[in-house]
Amino acid sequence: MKVLKYALLAAVGCLTFGLGSPSFAQQSAGDAARGKDKYMAVGCFTCHGRSGQGGALNYPAPALVDLPMPADALAAFLRNPVGDMPPYAAAVLSNADVADVLSFIKSLPGRKDPKTFPLLNQ
Amino acid sequence: MPRKPEDSPALDQPAANRRNFLKGAALSGAAALTPAESQAATPVPQQIKITPPGPRQLAADTHPPEADPVNQSSSGGEFMVDVLKSMDIDYMVMMCASSFRGIHEAIVNYADNRKPEIITTAHEEIANAMAHGYAKMAEKPIATIFHGTVGVQHASMALYNAWCDRVPILAFCGNIIEADKRLPGAEWVHSAVDPLAMVRDMLKYDDQPASLQHFAESAVRAVKIATTPPMGPVMLSLDAELQENPIENRAGLRIPKYTPVIPPVGDPGALAEAARLLANAENPVIIVDRMTRTPAGLERLVAFAEALQCAVVDTGGRMNFPTRHPLNQSQRGRAVIAQADVILGIEMNDLWGQLHAHSDRVHRSDRGVTRAGAKVITLGNREMYSKSNFQDSARFQEADLTIAGDGESSLPLLTELVKKAVTSDRKSAHEERGKKLGAARLAAVNLAMSDATLGWDASPVSTARVAAELYAQIKDDDWSLVGSAIRFNWPQRLWNMDKKHRWNGGSGGAGIGYNAPAALGAALANKAKGRLSVAIQGDGDFMFVPSTLWTAAHHRIPLLYVMHNNRAYHQEYMYLQAMAGRRGRGATKAHIGTTLTDPNVDYATVARGMGIYGEGPITDPKELGPALKRALAVVRRGEPALVDVVTDQR
Repeated sequence: MKVLKYALLAAVGCLTFGLGSPSFAQQSAGDAARGKDKYMAVGCFTCHGRSGQGGALNYPAPALVDLPMPADALAAFLRNPVGDMPPYAAAVLSNADVADVLSFIKSLPGRKDPKTFPLLNQ
Repeated sequence: MPRKPEDSPALDQPAANRRNFLKGAALSGAAALTPAESQAATPVPQQIKITPPGPRQLAADTHPPEADPVNQSSSGGEFMVDVLKSMDIDYMVMMCASSFRGIHEAIVNYADNRKPEIITTAHEEIANAMAHGYAKMAEKPIATIFHGTVGVQHASMALYNAWCDRVPILAFCGNIIEADKRLPGAEWVHSAVDPLAMVRDMLKYDDQPASLQHFAESAVRAVKIATTPPMGPVMLSLDAELQENPIENRAGLRIPKYTPVIPPVGDPGALAEAARLLANAENPVIIVDRMTRTPAGLERLVAFAEALQCAVVDTGGRMNFPTRHPLNQSQRGRAVIAQADVILGIEMNDLWGQLHAHSDRVHRSDRGVTRAGAKVITLGNREMYSKSNFQDSARFQEADLTIAGDGESSLPLLTELVKKAVTSDRKSAHEERGKKLGAARLAAVNLAMSDATLGWDASPVSTARVAAELYAQIKDDDWSLVGSAIRFNWPQRLWNMDKKHRWNGGSGGAGIGYNAPAALGAALANKAKGRLSVAIQGDGDFMFVPSTLWTAAHHRIPLLYVMHNNRAYHQEYMYLQAMAGRRGRGATKAHIGTTLTDPNVDYATVARGMGIYGEGPITDPKELGPALKRALAVVRRGEPALVDVVTDQR
């Protein structure tokens, strides 16, 4: 539910910022290796974990592996986030950077079936 | 004005008394310190004749008067120990100091270091945090003692945590009240007219007894006040003369009988009204924080919740409700609170925070998360004792019904009243509600397990992996999680926490430096019960109080510290990042002032240096399980151990 809300807000932001332009869409196929460096450098990992598993600041920070939004929507969201999420100006995280970060997030292993983890079934 | 040489006192006169000898020495010293000035007035150097003091002078300086006794057959400290024994005080946790040498000696020799037994620490904050953790686990206070002035200031942080957490500590400090009895130097700077003034806002009661009878009555009164909900630390300033001097008339002294105070039960009429509202509600929710004082508290809350078949949200101030009970909705608290039509908060410190969302943005804002018309009932002792300076009261939450009374003590009556108020037609609806809540809890558990798979094999090690590996090693023991790091809630999400001693609550005041010593205090209480104590230990917290490990080793207190080593004061790191983001700047410098790197701390080596088993740093998650197993073997044979795990941030 929360993720959907973010996506909706991001979509609104996308219109506001005009980020849905073809030029940005063309950039949205980012580079995962560059994205990992950026993910660490700008501090995404501090709240959302190095594996995108989520975390907490004042309130829980969602797991990014569940992130359903496209790069342009994510960029719009990052410029004007909700809750305690800090904003990321384009000077800090460009649209190209966002695409790279998203590629990195998509490259993460993601969720697995917990039933296959004996340590999680105690 | 230069002095003439003939103004100097005659130092060689045998009749010179002590005072004049010292005065003369001072004056000649002053003359020696101003050679240039002296030479300006008298160009010819003057030879000052110095004669050593004679036998009379030496005797006056080194021998006490013949009437001054050197032996004594009793001391006030011994009587003080008798008073502590009468209240079954098990331990005196201390940072040694001369201002309480009188009672210190009485404990180790007169009492043979039993009841109370001395626990040695290297910092007053450690001593008081240990007492804090012990009291919650053992359900009884122990004593602490430290210097006046300097010791009180070192202790103040831990006293503040105990105050905020409403936990009893019987604290003492030494003081030398009579100015003419103080030695020159340290005894002056270690004395105060009112040494407890510095911490009075963190104490429920304090006194500076002027006689031994006064001490006896005040100490018994202090413990009764400290252990009456809302509980809190109390403190007595002990005059050194009172501790050290002989007892003039022991037969004339009386130790008052100590009887524990029975906590107050809420007004029956008000509880009946609460029961009526809850029984007729569609979606009642119970929120609890610092409710459970004894094992009975948890059992009573289970019986109460089952009578209603309603959601329980445990915010973790104590171990209030079993994590795997179907009605435990703590992991989806915001969702059940949003649906609630009647909310009962029991022993809540910050009910407002549970019923509202607050945004930490450029312009801070908040909004209620409850549905319109939801009734709010509070039960607890929050309003029964408070102070104004420190703002631990949290934001004011209005309520429809406020019942003053101890939560744990009031639950049996409230449960019976609920059972009477639930009609047969409502009963089936309640059972249906309970089934839905059970299904929702299972979904939350499945989500937690799924979340835990994320980053399972990552390095640094995920916090979920740490929790899962640790639980695998302890689940078949009578384990007790005696401490945890900030936001480390995986045990509550994954572990079967079903008894009061499974969790010992948090610091209360969020004062760093609490967890390591408070965990050790709880482990000391668990030692007597044969429980296996483990603690998740934040590295930042540990850096405040590293000598806690030495106390653990010295007293052979079995406890496993699992270092959650994220190499940062990470909450602050994130806040700095938020500031930078708000100002259009990046987080590339957020590590400055917030991280514990360059050099990285080798906590296993620190542990070994303090005399306990240490292993790590563990960076490969596959190595964690075996390392924990080895360390727990040490703990199971009665000694402390530490495993340093390099972890992801949260």
